[in-house]
Amino acid sequence: MDRKTKIGYLFLLPAGLLMVIMVLYPVINTFYLSLFEYRVQTMALGKVFVGLENYKKIISDETFWNSFTWTVQFTFISVILELIIGMALALIMNRKIPGQSIIRTIILIPWAIPTIVSGMMWAYLFGQYGMINEILLNIGIIHESIPWFTEEMWAKTAIIIADVWKTTPYMSLLILGGLQTVPKTLYEAADIDGANIMQKFLKITLPSIKPALVIAVLFRVVAALRIYDLIAAMTSGGPAGTTESLSIYTVSTYFRFGNIGYGSALAVVMLIVSLLISLLFVDALKSKVDE
Amino acid sequence: MRQIKSVLNKTSYMIFFIVFSGTMLFPFIFIFFSSFKTPKDIMAIPPSILPDKWILSNYMDAFTIQPLHIYLRNSFITSILVVMITIVIGSMAAYALSRTNIKGKKVFLVFLLAISLLPPVTIINPIYQLLSSLKLLNSYIGLALVITVLELPLVVWMLTAYFNTLPKSLEESGEIDGANIIQIFTKILFPLIGPGIFTVSILVFINAWNQFLFALVLNPYESHRAITVGLTLYKTDYVVPWGVLSSAAVITVIPLIVMILLLQKRILSGVLEGGVKE
Repeated sequence: MDRKTKIGYLFLLPAGLLMVIMVLYPVINTFYLSLFEYRVQTMALGKVFVGLENYKKIISDETFWNSFTWTVQFTFISVILELIIGMALALIMNRKIPGQSIIRTIILIPWAIPTIVSGMMWAYLFGQYGMINEILLNIGIIHESIPWFTEEMWAKTAIIIADVWKTTPYMSLLILGGLQTVPKTLYEAADIDGANIMQKFLKITLPSIKPALVIAVLFRVVAALRIYDLIAAMTSGGPAGTTESLSIYTVSTYFRFGNIGYGSALAVVMLIVSLLISLLFVDALKSKVDE
Repeated sequence: MRQIKSVLNKTSYMIFFIVFSGTMLFPFIFIFFSSFKTPKDIMAIPPSILPDKWILSNYMDAFTIQPLHIYLRNSFITSILVVMITIVIGSMAAYALSRTNIKGKKVFLVFLLAISLLPPVTIINPIYQLLSSLKLLNSYIGLALVITVLELPLVVWMLTAYFNTLPKSLEESGEIDGANIIQIFTKILFPLIGPGIFTVSILVFINAWNQFLFALVLNPYESHRAITVGLTLYKTDYVVPWGVLSSAAVITVIPLIVMILLLQKRILSGVLEGGVKE
Protein backbone atom coordinates (compact mmCIF):
# COMPACT_ATOMS: atom_id res chain seq x y z
CA MET A 1 0.00 0.00 0.00
CA ASP A 2 1.51 3.35 -0.96
CA ARG A 3 1.55 6.37 1.30
CA LYS A 4 -1.35 8.09 -0.39
CA THR A 5 -3.66 5.12 0.01
CA LYS A 6 -2.78 4.92 3.68
CA ILE A 7 -3.64 8.59 4.02
CA GLY A 8 -6.91 7.90 2.24
CA TYR A 9 -7.97 5.30 4.78
CA LEU A 10 -6.78 7.47 7.63
CA PHE A 11 -8.80 10.44 6.36
CA LEU A 12 -11.96 8.40 5.95
CA LEU A 13 -11.67 7.05 9.46
CA PRO A 14 -13.15 9.88 11.61
CA ALA A 15 -16.29 10.24 9.48
CA GLY A 16 -16.60 6.47 9.17
CA LEU A 17 -16.24 5.92 12.89
CA LEU A 18 -18.83 8.53 13.72
CA MET A 19 -21.23 6.96 11.21
CA VAL A 20 -20.74 3.51 12.71
CA ILE A 21 -21.22 4.71 16.30
CA MET A 22 -24.12 7.09 15.68
CA VAL A 23 -26.00 5.30 12.89
CA LEU A 24 -25.00 1.69 12.25
CA TYR A 25 -24.88 0.63 15.89
CA PRO A 26 -28.16 2.42 16.74
CA VAL A 27 -29.98 0.81 13.80
CA ILE A 28 -28.77 -2.67 14.78
CA ASN A 29 -29.64 -1.93 18.41
CA THR A 30 -33.17 -0.86 17.47
CA PHE A 31 -33.67 -4.08 15.47
CA TYR A 32 -32.41 -6.09 18.45
CA LEU A 33 -34.56 -4.32 21.05
CA SER A 34 -37.67 -4.72 18.89
CA LEU A 35 -37.56 -8.43 19.73
CA PHE A 36 -37.94 -7.80 23.46
CA GLU A 37 -40.59 -6.85 25.97
CA TYR A 38 -38.71 -3.94 27.51
CA ARG A 39 -40.10 -0.97 29.41
CA VAL A 40 -38.55 1.93 31.31
CA GLN A 41 -40.96 1.32 34.21
CA THR A 42 -39.70 -2.26 34.67
CA MET A 43 -36.11 -1.69 33.62
CA ALA A 44 -34.83 -3.23 36.84
CA LEU A 45 -36.35 -6.55 35.77
CA GLY A 46 -34.43 -6.38 32.50
CA LYS A 47 -35.78 -7.36 29.09
CA VAL A 48 -37.66 -10.47 28.08
CA PHE A 49 -37.15 -11.98 24.63
CA VAL A 50 -40.50 -12.22 22.84
CA GLY A 51 -39.44 -12.73 19.21
CA LEU A 52 -41.83 -11.12 16.74
CA GLU A 53 -44.53 -10.49 19.37
CA ASN A 54 -44.17 -6.67 19.10
CA TYR A 55 -44.68 -6.86 15.34
CA LYS A 56 -47.79 -8.97 15.78
CA LYS A 57 -49.10 -6.32 18.15
CA ILE A 58 -48.47 -3.62 15.55
CA ILE A 59 -50.66 -5.45 13.02
CA SER A 60 -53.67 -5.25 15.33
CA ASP A 61 -52.82 -1.78 16.70
CA GLU A 62 -55.49 0.65 15.56
CA THR A 63 -53.45 3.71 16.58
CA PHE A 64 -50.61 2.46 14.39
CA TRP A 65 -52.85 1.99 11.36
CA ASN A 66 -54.42 5.42 11.78
CA SER A 67 -51.04 7.12 11.95
CA PHE A 68 -49.70 4.98 9.13
CA THR A 69 -52.62 5.82 6.82
CA TRP A 70 -52.42 9.51 7.64
CA THR A 71 -48.64 9.62 7.18
CA VAL A 72 -48.91 7.98 3.76
CA GLN A 73 -51.80 10.28 2.78
CA PHE A 74 -49.86 13.31 3.90
CA THR A 75 -46.73 12.23 2.02
CA PHE A 76 -48.58 11.49 -1.20
CA ILE A 77 -50.64 14.68 -1.32
CA SER A 78 -47.84 17.00 -0.15
CA VAL A 79 -45.23 15.69 -2.54
CA ILE A 80 -47.58 15.78 -5.55
CA LEU A 81 -48.56 19.38 -4.79
CA GLU A 82 -44.94 20.38 -4.19
CA LEU A 83 -43.89 18.77 -7.43
CA ILE A 84 -46.54 20.56 -9.51
CA ILE A 85 -46.12 23.99 -7.90
CA GLY A 86 -42.34 23.58 -7.63
CA MET A 87 -42.11 22.72 -11.32
CA ALA A 88 -44.18 25.78 -12.27
CA LEU A 89 -42.03 28.06 -10.12
CA ALA A 90 -38.82 26.58 -11.49
CA LEU A 91 -39.96 27.11 -15.08
CA ILE A 92 -40.78 30.75 -14.29
CA MET A 93 -37.49 31.31 -12.46
CA ASN A 94 -35.57 29.77 -15.34
CA ARG A 95 -36.68 32.50 -17.75
CA LYS A 96 -35.12 35.91 -18.04
CA ILE A 97 -37.59 37.87 -15.98
CA PRO A 98 -37.49 41.14 -14.07
CA GLY A 99 -37.04 40.80 -10.33
CA GLN A 100 -35.25 37.47 -10.76
CA SER A 101 -32.95 37.92 -7.78
CA ILE A 102 -35.77 39.20 -5.56
CA ILE A 103 -37.79 36.07 -6.32
CA ARG A 104 -34.84 33.85 -5.58
CA THR A 105 -34.22 35.59 -2.26
CA ILE A 106 -37.87 35.45 -1.22
CA ILE A 107 -38.05 31.76 -2.04
CA LEU A 108 -35.26 31.02 0.42
CA ILE A 109 -37.20 32.38 3.39
CA PRO A 110 -39.72 29.54 3.88
CA TRP A 111 -36.88 27.08 3.31
CA ALA A 112 -34.62 28.63 5.97
CA ILE A 113 -37.24 29.19 8.67
CA PRO A 114 -37.20 26.37 11.25
CA THR A 115 -40.11 23.98 10.72
CA ILE A 116 -41.16 24.49 14.31
CA VAL A 117 -41.53 28.23 13.67
CA SER A 118 -43.44 27.78 10.42
CA GLY A 119 -45.74 25.36 12.24
CA MET A 120 -46.46 27.98 14.89
CA MET A 121 -47.00 30.72 12.33
CA TRP A 122 -49.53 28.63 10.45
CA ALA A 123 -51.22 27.53 13.66
CA TYR A 124 -51.73 31.22 14.41
CA LEU A 125 -53.00 32.02 10.93
CA PHE A 126 -55.40 29.06 10.92
CA GLY A 127 -56.92 29.97 14.32
CA GLN A 128 -60.70 30.14 14.78
CA TYR A 129 -60.61 33.94 14.50
CA GLY A 130 -57.37 33.90 12.57
CA MET A 131 -56.23 35.58 9.40
CA ILE A 132 -56.97 32.70 7.02
CA ASN A 133 -60.65 32.53 7.98
CA GLU A 134 -60.80 36.32 7.83
CA ILE A 135 -59.36 36.40 4.31
CA LEU A 136 -61.61 33.57 3.09
CA LEU A 137 -64.69 35.25 4.60
CA ASN A 138 -63.78 38.55 2.97
CA ILE A 139 -63.26 37.03 -0.45
CA GLY A 140 -66.57 35.26 0.01
CA ILE A 141 -65.24 31.72 -0.49
CA ILE A 142 -66.75 30.68 2.83
CA HIS A 143 -69.67 32.09 4.82
CA GLU A 144 -68.74 30.84 8.25
CA SER A 145 -65.36 30.27 9.87
CA ILE A 146 -63.71 26.93 9.20
CA PRO A 147 -62.90 25.04 12.45
CA TRP A 148 -59.34 24.30 11.32
CA PHE A 149 -58.11 22.54 14.42
CA THR A 150 -61.23 20.93 15.83
CA GLU A 151 -62.13 18.82 12.81
CA GLU A 152 -59.85 16.09 11.55
CA MET A 153 -60.20 16.81 7.85
CA TRP A 154 -59.53 20.54 8.27
CA ALA A 155 -56.59 19.93 10.60
CA LYS A 156 -55.03 17.60 8.04
CA THR A 157 -55.65 20.15 5.30
CA ALA A 158 -53.97 22.87 7.37
CA ILE A 159 -50.92 20.68 7.97
CA ILE A 160 -50.60 19.88 4.28
CA ILE A 161 -50.89 23.57 3.32
CA ALA A 162 -48.20 24.52 5.83
CA ASP A 163 -45.92 21.76 4.59
CA VAL A 164 -46.38 22.69 0.94
CA TRP A 165 -45.57 26.32 1.78
CA LYS A 166 -42.42 25.28 3.60
CA THR A 167 -40.97 22.75 1.19
CA THR A 168 -42.10 23.79 -2.29
CA PRO A 169 -39.36 26.45 -2.50
CA TYR A 170 -36.65 23.87 -1.96
CA MET A 171 -38.22 21.54 -4.48
CA SER A 172 -38.41 24.35 -7.03
CA LEU A 173 -34.72 25.16 -6.51
CA LEU A 174 -33.76 21.51 -7.01
CA ILE A 175 -35.78 21.45 -10.24
CA LEU A 176 -34.25 24.78 -11.28
CA GLY A 177 -30.81 23.23 -10.77
CA GLY A 178 -31.84 20.53 -13.23
CA LEU A 179 -33.29 23.04 -15.71
CA GLN A 180 -30.07 25.03 -15.81
CA THR A 181 -28.15 22.04 -17.12
CA VAL A 182 -30.35 21.62 -20.20
CA PRO A 183 -28.31 22.81 -23.21
CA LYS A 184 -29.88 25.83 -24.96
CA THR A 185 -29.01 24.39 -28.37
CA LEU A 186 -31.67 21.71 -27.92
CA TYR A 187 -34.36 24.37 -27.71
CA GLU A 188 -32.93 26.26 -30.65
CA ALA A 189 -33.03 23.10 -32.75
CA ALA A 190 -36.63 22.49 -31.66
CA ASP A 191 -37.53 26.06 -32.63
CA ILE A 192 -36.17 25.46 -36.12
CA ASP A 193 -38.33 22.33 -36.34
CA GLY A 194 -41.31 24.47 -35.31
CA ALA A 195 -42.05 22.74 -32.01
CA ASN A 196 -44.57 24.43 -29.71
CA ILE A 197 -44.10 25.12 -25.99
CA MET A 198 -45.82 21.94 -24.86
CA GLN A 199 -43.82 19.76 -27.23
CA LYS A 200 -40.60 21.38 -26.06
CA PHE A 201 -41.53 20.74 -22.44
CA LEU A 202 -42.44 17.09 -22.97
CA LYS A 203 -39.71 16.22 -25.45
CA ILE A 204 -36.76 18.22 -24.16
CA THR A 205 -37.28 19.67 -20.69
CA LEU A 206 -38.80 16.69 -18.91
CA PRO A 207 -36.40 14.02 -20.19
CA SER A 208 -33.41 16.27 -19.44
CA ILE A 209 -34.39 16.98 -15.85
CA LYS A 210 -35.79 13.55 -15.11
CA PRO A 211 -32.74 12.35 -13.12
CA ALA A 212 -32.75 15.46 -10.91
CA LEU A 213 -36.52 15.22 -10.56
CA VAL A 214 -36.52 11.56 -9.51
CA ILE A 215 -33.90 12.18 -6.82
CA ALA A 216 -35.75 15.25 -5.57
CA VAL A 217 -39.01 13.29 -5.31
CA LEU A 218 -37.36 10.42 -3.47
CA PHE A 219 -35.78 12.68 -0.88
CA ARG A 220 -39.00 14.61 -0.41
CA VAL A 221 -40.98 11.38 0.01
CA VAL A 222 -38.73 9.96 2.71
CA ALA A 223 -38.57 13.34 4.44
CA ALA A 224 -42.36 13.66 4.38
CA LEU A 225 -42.76 10.16 5.81
CA ARG A 226 -40.75 11.16 8.87
CA ILE A 227 -42.73 14.37 9.54
CA TYR A 228 -42.57 15.36 13.19
CA ASP A 229 -41.82 19.04 13.89
CA LEU A 230 -44.60 20.57 11.83
CA ILE A 231 -47.36 18.49 13.42
CA ALA A 232 -45.87 18.90 16.89
CA ALA A 233 -46.05 22.68 16.43
CA MET A 234 -49.45 22.87 14.73
CA THR A 235 -51.76 20.32 16.32
CA SER A 236 -49.65 18.18 18.71
CA GLY A 237 -51.37 15.28 16.96
CA GLY A 238 -54.90 16.55 17.69
CA PRO A 239 -57.88 16.64 17.37
CA ALA A 240 -58.04 13.44 19.45
CA GLY A 241 -54.79 12.05 18.04
CA THR A 242 -56.07 11.99 14.45
CA THR A 243 -53.08 13.89 13.05
CA GLU A 244 -50.43 11.83 14.86
CA SER A 245 -47.77 10.86 12.34
CA LEU A 246 -45.73 7.66 12.57
CA SER A 247 -42.76 9.58 13.98
CA ILE A 248 -44.88 11.23 16.65
CA TYR A 249 -46.42 7.90 17.63
CA THR A 250 -43.00 6.24 17.80
CA VAL A 251 -41.38 9.03 19.83
CA SER A 252 -44.25 9.11 22.33
CA THR A 253 -44.13 5.29 22.65
CA TYR A 254 -40.45 5.63 23.56
CA PHE A 255 -40.27 8.73 25.70
CA ARG A 256 -43.76 9.27 27.04
CA PHE A 257 -44.84 5.67 27.66
CA GLY A 258 -41.33 4.29 28.12
CA ASN A 259 -42.16 1.26 26.00
CA ILE A 260 -38.76 0.66 24.40
CA GLY A 261 -39.46 -2.75 22.86
CA TYR A 262 -42.64 -1.66 21.11
CA GLY A 263 -41.19 1.72 20.10
CA SER A 264 -38.25 -0.08 18.51
CA ALA A 265 -40.60 -2.29 16.51
CA LEU A 266 -42.46 0.82 15.28
CA ALA A 267 -39.12 2.41 14.35
CA VAL A 268 -38.12 -0.70 12.40
CA VAL A 269 -41.42 -0.61 10.50
CA MET A 270 -40.69 3.02 9.57
CA LEU A 271 -37.20 2.08 8.42
CA ILE A 272 -38.56 -0.76 6.28
CA VAL A 273 -41.15 1.52 4.67
CA SER A 274 -38.43 4.08 3.81
CA LEU A 275 -36.21 1.30 2.52
CA LEU A 276 -38.90 -0.16 0.26
CA ILE A 277 -39.59 3.27 -1.21
CA SER A 278 -35.88 3.86 -1.74
CA LEU A 279 -35.63 0.53 -3.58
CA LEU A 280 -38.17 1.82 -6.11
CA PHE A 281 -35.65 4.53 -6.91
CA VAL A 282 -32.60 2.34 -6.82
CA ASP A 283 -31.50 3.05 -10.41
CA ALA A 284 -31.52 6.79 -9.81
CA LEU A 285 -29.56 6.31 -6.59
CA LYS A 286 -27.04 4.08 -8.33
CA SER A 287 -26.20 6.80 -10.82
CA LYS A 288 -25.75 9.21 -7.94
CA VAL A 289 -23.22 6.95 -6.23
CA ASP A 290 -21.42 6.20 -9.50
CA GLU A 291 -20.95 9.84 -10.43
CA MET B 1 -51.12 42.51 -31.68
CA ARG B 2 -47.64 41.88 -30.49
CA GLN B 3 -47.81 44.86 -28.15
CA ILE B 4 -51.08 43.68 -26.62
CA LYS B 5 -49.51 40.29 -26.05
CA SER B 6 -46.50 41.74 -24.27
CA VAL B 7 -48.69 43.97 -22.09
CA LEU B 8 -50.77 40.92 -21.18
CA ASN B 9 -47.60 39.01 -20.37
CA LYS B 10 -46.35 41.86 -18.22
CA THR B 11 -49.65 42.11 -16.37
CA SER B 12 -49.93 38.39 -15.73
CA TYR B 13 -46.33 38.34 -14.62
CA MET B 14 -46.98 41.21 -12.20
CA ILE B 15 -49.96 39.34 -10.80
CA PHE B 16 -47.85 36.21 -10.40
CA PHE B 17 -45.11 38.20 -8.71
CA ILE B 18 -47.48 39.78 -6.19
CA VAL B 19 -49.32 36.54 -5.38
CA PHE B 20 -46.04 34.64 -5.09
CA SER B 21 -44.27 37.16 -2.84
CA GLY B 22 -47.42 37.60 -0.76
CA THR B 23 -47.79 33.87 -0.18
CA MET B 24 -44.13 33.35 0.62
CA LEU B 25 -43.75 36.33 2.92
CA PHE B 26 -47.18 36.79 4.48
CA PRO B 27 -46.88 34.35 7.42
CA PHE B 28 -43.62 35.91 8.52
CA ILE B 29 -44.81 39.48 7.99
CA PHE B 30 -47.94 38.75 10.02
CA ILE B 31 -45.90 37.29 12.88
CA PHE B 32 -43.52 40.24 12.71
CA PHE B 33 -46.34 42.79 13.11
CA SER B 34 -48.05 40.65 15.76
CA SER B 35 -44.92 40.82 17.88
CA PHE B 36 -45.62 44.57 18.36
CA LYS B 37 -49.32 44.21 19.21
CA THR B 38 -50.96 44.80 22.56
CA PRO B 39 -52.96 41.85 23.99
CA LYS B 40 -56.09 43.76 23.00
CA ASP B 41 -54.97 43.88 19.36
CA ILE B 42 -54.00 40.22 19.44
CA MET B 43 -57.50 39.32 20.63
CA ALA B 44 -59.24 41.62 18.15
CA ILE B 45 -62.01 40.08 16.05
CA PRO B 46 -61.69 40.44 13.10
CA PRO B 47 -57.88 40.30 13.24
CA SER B 48 -55.89 43.12 11.71
CA ILE B 49 -52.48 42.91 10.10
CA LEU B 50 -50.99 46.10 11.55
CA PRO B 51 -50.97 46.83 15.28
CA ASP B 52 -53.24 49.67 16.46
CA LYS B 53 -50.68 50.63 19.01
CA TRP B 54 -47.04 49.56 18.69
CA ILE B 55 -45.42 48.16 21.83
CA LEU B 56 -42.05 46.57 22.60
CA SER B 57 -43.05 44.78 25.80
CA ASN B 58 -43.62 41.43 24.01
CA TYR B 59 -39.87 41.34 23.37
CA MET B 60 -39.09 42.05 27.01
CA ASP B 61 -41.55 39.37 28.07
CA ALA B 62 -40.09 36.86 25.63
CA PHE B 63 -36.80 37.11 27.55
CA THR B 64 -38.31 37.09 31.03
CA ILE B 65 -40.93 34.33 30.66
CA GLN B 66 -38.30 32.02 29.18
CA PRO B 67 -34.51 32.56 29.35
CA LEU B 68 -34.38 33.19 25.61
CA HIS B 69 -30.82 34.54 25.76
CA ILE B 70 -29.64 31.18 27.15
CA TYR B 71 -31.42 29.32 24.36
CA LEU B 72 -29.90 31.64 21.77
CA ARG B 73 -26.44 31.03 23.19
CA ASN B 74 -27.01 27.26 23.24
CA SER B 75 -28.19 27.14 19.65
CA PHE B 76 -25.24 29.27 18.54
CA ILE B 77 -22.69 27.11 20.33
CA THR B 78 -24.19 23.85 19.05
CA SER B 79 -24.52 25.10 15.47
CA ILE B 80 -20.96 26.47 15.36
CA LEU B 81 -19.64 23.20 16.80
CA VAL B 82 -21.53 21.25 14.17
CA VAL B 83 -20.08 23.42 11.40
CA MET B 84 -16.54 23.01 12.72
CA ILE B 85 -16.70 19.25 13.16
CA THR B 86 -18.47 18.56 9.86
CA ILE B 87 -16.04 20.69 7.89
CA VAL B 88 -12.97 19.01 9.40
CA ILE B 89 -14.04 15.39 9.15
CA GLY B 90 -16.16 16.00 6.05
CA SER B 91 -13.32 17.55 4.04
CA MET B 92 -10.95 14.77 5.10
CA ALA B 93 -13.44 12.17 3.91
CA ALA B 94 -14.10 14.11 0.71
CA TYR B 95 -10.37 14.28 -0.03
CA ALA B 96 -10.02 10.54 0.48
CA LEU B 97 -12.95 9.86 -1.85
CA SER B 98 -11.81 12.30 -4.51
CA ARG B 99 -8.04 11.80 -4.54
CA THR B 100 -7.01 8.35 -3.35
CA ASN B 101 -7.60 4.85 -4.71
CA ILE B 102 -8.84 3.31 -1.51
CA LYS B 103 -11.20 0.36 -1.60
CA GLY B 104 -14.68 0.63 -0.20
CA LYS B 105 -15.54 4.05 -1.61
CA LYS B 106 -18.86 2.70 -2.88
CA VAL B 107 -19.75 1.20 0.47
CA PHE B 108 -19.02 4.52 2.14
CA LEU B 109 -21.14 6.46 -0.36
CA VAL B 110 -24.06 4.04 -0.05
CA PHE B 111 -23.80 4.37 3.73
CA LEU B 112 -23.90 8.16 3.40
CA LEU B 113 -26.93 7.97 1.16
CA ALA B 114 -28.63 5.63 3.63
CA ILE B 115 -28.15 8.21 6.40
CA SER B 116 -30.01 10.85 4.43
CA LEU B 117 -32.87 8.43 3.77
CA LEU B 118 -33.08 7.20 7.36
CA PRO B 119 -36.00 8.19 9.61
CA PRO B 120 -34.46 9.76 12.75
CA VAL B 121 -36.76 7.75 15.05
CA THR B 122 -34.89 4.62 13.99
CA ILE B 123 -31.79 5.78 15.83
CA ILE B 124 -33.12 8.14 18.46
CA ASN B 125 -33.53 5.72 21.36
CA PRO B 126 -30.13 3.98 21.09
CA ILE B 127 -28.48 7.40 20.72
CA TYR B 128 -30.30 8.61 23.82
CA GLN B 129 -29.09 5.54 25.78
CA LEU B 130 -25.56 5.89 24.38
CA LEU B 131 -25.23 9.58 25.29
CA SER B 132 -26.81 8.85 28.65
CA SER B 133 -24.15 6.25 29.47
CA LEU B 134 -21.40 8.58 28.23
CA LYS B 135 -22.83 11.38 30.45
CA LEU B 136 -23.38 13.47 27.32
CA LEU B 137 -27.08 14.21 27.66
CA ASN B 138 -27.54 17.97 28.17
CA SER B 139 -24.20 18.77 26.59
CA TYR B 140 -23.22 20.75 23.50
CA ILE B 141 -20.85 18.16 22.10
CA GLY B 142 -23.27 15.22 22.34
CA LEU B 143 -26.03 16.92 20.36
CA ALA B 144 -23.46 18.45 17.99
CA LEU B 145 -22.02 15.01 17.14
CA VAL B 146 -25.48 13.63 16.39
CA ILE B 147 -26.37 16.56 14.13
CA THR B 148 -22.93 16.21 12.52
CA VAL B 149 -23.70 12.66 11.42
CA LEU B 150 -27.02 13.80 9.95
CA GLU B 151 -25.26 16.59 8.01
CA LEU B 152 -22.33 14.48 6.78
CA PRO B 153 -24.07 13.30 3.59
CA LEU B 154 -24.60 16.88 2.43
CA VAL B 155 -21.08 17.99 3.38
CA VAL B 156 -19.13 15.04 1.98
CA TRP B 157 -21.21 15.05 -1.20
CA MET B 158 -20.64 18.72 -1.90
CA LEU B 159 -16.99 18.87 -0.86
CA THR B 160 -16.16 15.80 -2.95
CA ALA B 161 -17.67 17.58 -5.94
CA TYR B 162 -15.51 20.65 -5.18
CA PHE B 163 -12.32 18.58 -4.87
CA ASN B 164 -13.12 16.86 -8.16
CA THR B 165 -13.04 20.23 -9.91
CA LEU B 166 -9.44 20.90 -8.86
CA PRO B 167 -6.70 19.65 -11.22
CA LYS B 168 -4.52 16.86 -9.80
CA SER B 169 -1.39 18.68 -11.01
CA LEU B 170 -1.72 21.07 -8.07
CA GLU B 171 -0.96 18.41 -5.52
CA GLU B 172 1.67 16.81 -7.71
CA SER B 173 3.60 20.05 -7.88
CA GLY B 174 3.28 20.29 -4.12
CA GLU B 175 4.58 16.76 -3.73
CA ILE B 176 7.57 17.52 -5.96
CA ASP B 177 8.37 20.48 -3.69
CA GLY B 178 8.38 18.00 -0.84
CA ALA B 179 5.24 19.20 0.90
CA ASN B 180 3.54 16.67 3.14
CA ILE B 181 -0.16 15.89 2.99
CA ILE B 182 -1.09 18.31 5.75
CA GLN B 183 0.72 21.13 3.96
CA ILE B 184 -0.85 20.24 0.62
CA PHE B 185 -4.19 20.27 2.32
CA THR B 186 -3.87 23.53 4.19
CA LYS B 187 -1.69 25.50 1.75
CA ILE B 188 -2.92 24.36 -1.66
CA LEU B 189 -6.35 22.72 -1.54
CA PHE B 190 -8.16 24.48 1.28
CA PRO B 191 -7.62 28.01 -0.05
CA LEU B 192 -8.92 26.93 -3.46
CA ILE B 193 -12.11 25.34 -2.22
CA GLY B 194 -12.53 28.03 0.45
CA PRO B 195 -15.66 29.46 -1.18
CA GLY B 196 -17.15 25.98 -1.39
CA ILE B 197 -16.40 25.32 2.26
CA PHE B 198 -18.02 28.61 3.18
CA THR B 199 -21.18 27.73 1.24
CA VAL B 200 -21.42 24.31 2.87
CA SER B 201 -20.87 25.90 6.29
CA ILE B 202 -23.85 28.21 5.83
CA LEU B 203 -26.15 25.37 4.82
CA VAL B 204 -24.99 23.23 7.74
CA PHE B 205 -25.39 26.12 10.18
CA ILE B 206 -28.98 26.69 9.07
CA ASN B 207 -29.80 22.98 9.38
CA ALA B 208 -28.20 22.73 12.81
CA TRP B 209 -30.02 25.85 14.02
CA ASN B 210 -33.34 24.39 12.85
CA GLN B 211 -32.89 20.95 14.42
CA PHE B 212 -35.75 20.13 16.77
CA LEU B 213 -36.37 16.47 17.57
CA PHE B 214 -32.86 15.49 18.69
CA ALA B 215 -32.47 18.77 20.56
CA LEU B 216 -35.74 18.07 22.39
CA VAL B 217 -34.82 14.52 23.37
CA LEU B 218 -31.08 14.88 24.07
CA ASN B 219 -30.92 18.32 25.71
CA PRO B 220 -34.11 18.68 27.77
CA TYR B 221 -32.69 20.93 30.51
CA GLU B 222 -32.76 24.70 30.39
CA SER B 223 -28.97 25.00 30.58
CA HIS B 224 -28.51 23.40 27.14
CA ARG B 225 -31.96 23.79 25.61
CA ALA B 226 -32.05 24.80 21.93
CA ILE B 227 -34.07 27.81 20.87
CA THR B 228 -36.39 25.73 18.68
CA VAL B 229 -37.30 23.69 21.77
CA GLY B 230 -37.54 26.78 23.97
CA LEU B 231 -40.11 28.27 21.60
CA THR B 232 -42.58 25.49 22.34
CA LEU B 233 -42.61 26.35 26.04
CA TYR B 234 -44.47 29.67 25.88
CA LYS B 235 -47.72 27.86 25.25
CA THR B 236 -49.60 26.63 28.31
CA ASP B 237 -52.66 24.38 28.35
CA TYR B 238 -54.95 27.37 28.75
CA VAL B 239 -53.37 30.19 26.82
CA VAL B 240 -51.23 30.81 23.81
CA PRO B 241 -49.61 34.22 24.34
CA TRP B 242 -49.38 34.97 20.63
CA GLY B 243 -47.75 38.38 21.07
CA VAL B 244 -44.87 37.02 23.13
CA LEU B 245 -44.61 33.89 21.03
CA SER B 246 -44.41 36.01 17.88
CA SER B 247 -41.52 37.99 19.36
CA ALA B 248 -39.68 34.83 20.31
CA ALA B 249 -40.26 33.45 16.81
CA VAL B 250 -38.94 36.65 15.22
CA ILE B 251 -35.82 36.43 17.38
CA THR B 252 -35.31 32.79 16.38
CA VAL B 253 -35.60 33.61 12.69
CA ILE B 254 -33.63 36.89 12.60
CA PRO B 255 -30.17 35.27 12.34
CA LEU B 256 -31.40 33.20 9.40
CA ILE B 257 -33.04 36.14 7.63
CA VAL B 258 -29.86 38.20 8.03
CA MET B 259 -27.85 35.32 6.56
CA ILE B 260 -30.18 35.07 3.59
CA LEU B 261 -30.07 38.79 2.89
CA LEU B 262 -26.28 38.93 3.10
CA LEU B 263 -25.44 35.61 1.50
CA GLN B 264 -28.35 34.76 -0.77
CA LYS B 265 -26.14 34.21 -3.84
CA ARG B 266 -23.99 31.76 -1.97
CA ILE B 267 -26.88 29.90 -0.37
CA LEU B 268 -28.60 29.66 -3.73
CA SER B 269 -25.53 28.28 -5.45
CA GLY B 270 -25.19 25.79 -2.63
CA VAL B 271 -28.78 24.65 -2.90
CA LEU B 272 -28.67 24.59 -6.70
CA GLU B 273 -25.51 22.51 -6.73
CA GLY B 274 -27.77 20.34 -4.70
CA GLY B 275 -26.49 17.62 -2.67
CA VAL B 276 -28.89 15.93 -0.43
CA LYS B 277 -30.69 17.83 2.19
CA GLU B 278 -33.65 17.66 4.51
